[in-house]
Amino acid sequence: MSRERNTIPTPKLKTKLIQAMKLIRTNPSNLGRVSDFEEWFRHPFAGLPSLGNFINNLGEVFPGVTGDRLAVDVHEDKDNYFASFELPGLKKEDVKIELNNGLLTVSAEKREKNGDNESSYSLTRSVSVPDGVNVEAIAAKLEDGILTVTLPKAEHRKPRSITLN
Amino acid sequence: MNTTCSPRTCAPATSGVTESLRKPLYNVNGNAEAYEVRIEMPGVPKNGVKLDLEDNILTVRGERNTTVPEGMKALHRELSPLSYLLRLRLNTPVEEDKMTAKLEDGVLTLRLPLKEVAKPRQIPVL
Repeated sequence: MSRERNTIPTPKLKTKLIQAMKLIRTNPSNLGRVSDFEEWFRHPFAGLPSLGNFINNLGEVFPGVTGDRLAVDVHEDKDNYFASFELPGLKKEDVKIELNNGLLTVSAEKREKNGDNESSYSLTRSVSVPDGVNVEAIAAKLEDGILTVTLPKAEHRKPRSITLN
Repeated sequence: MNTTCSPRTCAPATSGVTESLRKPLYNVNGNAEAYEVRIEMPGVPKNGVKLDLEDNILTVRGERNTTVPEGMKALHRELSPLSYLLRLRLNTPVEEDKMTAKLEDGVLTLRLPLKEVAKPRQIPVL
């Protein structure tokens, strides 16, 4: 019987694996090319400090926070911001989403028993919620292993056209 | 019998695919009856999975829905939008007709029952 731990690879491991296969197309911020990435990312939001800080890793702020970092995509349309996380194999009850002091934190924890092997892992990620989000109306859904948190923009932050009198 | 596959140890068949695809994370477990392959494919709907077994090469494709809704723009990207391709060369004969596949929460679980000849058996000492 193999003594190898039957652990589901975490995104960190995932990144290494993918990188090793030289197949990577995205630019995960925990790799060496952070500066390119940040420049690319911050540039469009110069002058919008709340958006520039949209992404925030709690682990960097509070090193004591455990759990591996979960990757995130953030999209925006006219009415909402969307934060997406990959959580393959996780059920609704394994995922916890908290909003605290302008920080949205997603944490996932899972224990699995597979024959003689038992594995557990935890993942976490925080993003700071920009100003002008209607926090009461934040909603989340888990589908096909992707968690999407929808953050509706408050009325006064939506784009509108102003008519000239 | 219980193996955690790494790309090296399971020696997947090399693919000559030029399309941008990525290899999903996967895990192979097995017992005397069957192999179980668990493949992580977040973002792939049921109708996006294609399975094919030919010449002992199992090909699994998982197509993600990559169309971005109108008016949606990316502010920050860390996740890969690429679809998945996994090719595994099977070194044990399996019952092709009894293969089963289940996609749940972004994880595809394949059960490959071993052919009778591949099952372990006991040889009695006379």
